Amino acid sequence: MKKVLLFLLISVLTLGLAACGDDDSSNGSSDDNSGDKETLTVWSFTDELEPAIEAFKEEHDVDVELTIVPIEDYPTRLRPVLESGQGAPDIFTGELVFVKEWIEQGYWETLNQEPYNVEEISDDFVEYVYELGRNSSGEVKALSWQTTPGGIFYRRSIAEEVLGTDDPEAVGEMFATRDAMFETGAKLKDAGYRLFPDEGAVRWFAQGQDPEPWVNENDELIMTEGRLNHFDYAKELREEDLTAFAPEWSPAWFAAMDGPINYNAGWDEVDAEATTEVEVFSYALPTWGLHSVLKPNVEDTAGDWAVTSGPNPYFWGGTWLGMYSGSENKDLAWEFIQMMTHDEEFLTDWALETGDVLSYLPVTDKIKDDFSEDFLGGQNNYTFFLEEAQKIDASVVTRYDQQIDTMFGSMVTEYVEGVKTKEEAVQEFYNLVRNSYPQITTPDQQ
Amino acid sequence: MQSKLNKYGYVFILPFFIVFATFTIYPIILTFYYSFTSYSGFGDAAFIGFDNYQRLLTDSYFWEAFYNTIYIWGINFGFQLGIALLLAILFSDIRLKMKGLSFFRAAFYLPNLITIASVALLFGILLGWHHGTINHILLDLGFISEPINWLNNPTTARWSVALIGAWMWFGHTFIILMAGISGISNDYFEAALIDGASRLQMFFKITLPLLKPIMLYVLITSLIGGLQIFDLPMLLTDGRGAPQGSLNTMVLYLYNQAFRVNNYGYAAAIAYGLFIITVCFSLITFKAMYRKSVKGE
Repeated sequence: MKKVLLFLLISVLTLGLAACGDDDSSNGSSDDNSGDKETLTVWSFTDELEPAIEAFKEEHDVDVELTIVPIEDYPTRLRPVLESGQGAPDIFTGELVFVKEWIEQGYWETLNQEPYNVEEISDDFVEYVYELGRNSSGEVKALSWQTTPGGIFYRRSIAEEVLGTDDPEAVGEMFATRDAMFETGAKLKDAGYRLFPDEGAVRWFAQGQDPEPWVNENDELIMTEGRLNHFDYAKELREEDLTAFAPEWSPAWFAAMDGPINYNAGWDEVDAEATTEVEVFSYALPTWGLHSVLKPNVEDTAGDWAVTSGPNPYFWGGTWLGMYSGSENKDLAWEFIQMMTHDEEFLTDWALETGDVLSYLPVTDKIKDDFSEDFLGGQNNYTFFLEEAQKIDASVVTRYDQQIDTMFGSMVTEYVEGVKTKEEAVQEFYNLVRNSYPQITTPDQQ
Repeated sequence: MQSKLNKYGYVFILPFFIVFATFTIYPIILTFYYSFTSYSGFGDAAFIGFDNYQRLLTDSYFWEAFYNTIYIWGINFGFQLGIALLLAILFSDIRLKMKGLSFFRAAFYLPNLITIASVALLFGILLGWHHGTINHILLDLGFISEPINWLNNPTTARWSVALIGAWMWFGHTFIILMAGISGISNDYFEAALIDGASRLQMFFKITLPLLKPIMLYVLITSLIGGLQIFDLPMLLTDGRGAPQGSLNTMVLYLYNQAFRVNNYGYAAAIAYGLFIITVCFSLITFKAMYRKSVKGE
């Protein structure tokens, strides 16, 4: 009896192990299972590709498996898969913050070679978008269908009341330099409004008029006059009390889009007479901010918005697309990338349906003139953003940007809070950079 | 026959050892190897000898992280044990005969079941600056005249993390202490009662001495857990130790070096630094425990 039991237990165990093994092998080679239909595997960090995948499935009669990994875990989950090649996707997307680093690795197939030859159509793309997919050896590793320049979204009614006009061009003039921006902010303050929801909003304009990459080709950190000045601008924003203290992505930040929010609930001696509510005038957001941030969070103020340019052009985010260099499904993967990045018919539908600002010029040229966004009081935001996109210089983007920007931002905050002097904050910023990237030399060492 | 049975035994424990070797031993050895390299997550790992360890010893950020970790753990443990002990004594008092123990036991344990992400989100809103609930309550009650930026001041931020941790874990400690107290024979208490001992005397002369082994167990497990505190500091502020590096704990520092800036080699050295520190602390506690038990006998 005991022996029978033992045998049973062991066989169950072995079966279990064998089953696990089977699972692994079927994941590894996806083309020999499920009989007739080919399967394309795609990894991304949002669900934005879903409608495109549906369209692709119908057109090509294939199966597409989309795996969505939350962006925080995306690089950590993807890296081992790509390193080992076990269960690696045929196509994977990259957010702007990873793209610069990934194009330098061999994970993405080089696209400016036979049989893809993307260089032939490079003129059809917004320049900075195309160039960001190119690595230091000149290989194009990834393409993107969208462009994500930023602007300043503001409330028309407040502009009319305080600034005397709600015309985007005229308001843009009042934001043309950082000084002008602060003057406008002071005017708004006097009328009981706040320029931005929080101090983070000005980080996009930290570069000032002389954009330089954070790190040059000799691994030297570059500290420009514009960046040093940013410390003072941020301090001024706090001292002049131009923001509503509603931190980005906080509930208050979203609430301020749709009307007045609580502020200063009677505790500030300086403003003892002030109303306890305050309204925010503008938000610095990119193309996708309109569709994924403003629209879903706004009811009462819909139609009262417009978009204009800030002191300098900037862009925020964006999704790039490339195929895994070890993929066994390259033809199909290439079909998908082609559809997503330079299929006129598909992209026209996509743009009209989602309002996504495309990077593929043959389509944007066709549709841009007829755009009119009700949410923005009938403004043609499409043309505006395309013009902004042309001003962006891809050469200042480095793979360090996300980390260094964050370190810079927190040191600016410490200076604004009065915890550190400007010199201490700058020195600590250099220390932080060196601690994270020992290979970089900072200006205090040069 | 005897030897055959032994073989079956090995077969049965084999699965555990396979899993243990694959997911625990192998990574530990690999990490040790990486700690001598400048591995950046991809490509080959260049061997650089003891450079990483040398850097670790002189890295002010690491020692700051060490200080932060101990600071946060110390406050956390004090409150956690204090609250749990107080409650355990209340509930085990034979004169009070408190009702509803099973209900309270569950209620106290509940915070432990909430995911840390939700806890962090909740306290992020409660501890907000101009729009935070706690500030609004304190203002309305007239305790403060200006909103306090709790998570932006090193002291209040560390205390916040420590107290949130204490709130999450006191239920767990409470259950362990209750188990310890119910292990103490009622005869002692009854005898003390008959002799006319006061509640305080009973606590200091009976409960506390007999509870010492359990409390040392709580201390050691809490210390090992506390040295690895990561999730709350990670989620409550920017995940890099803000404000002013005060929430930069050792494991958070390790995480940032490895997964944010891809210094895997150095992160591996931090991991071994953390290991050595944990071993030292455990040894000290063991020594203390051994001496106490000898003295007690």
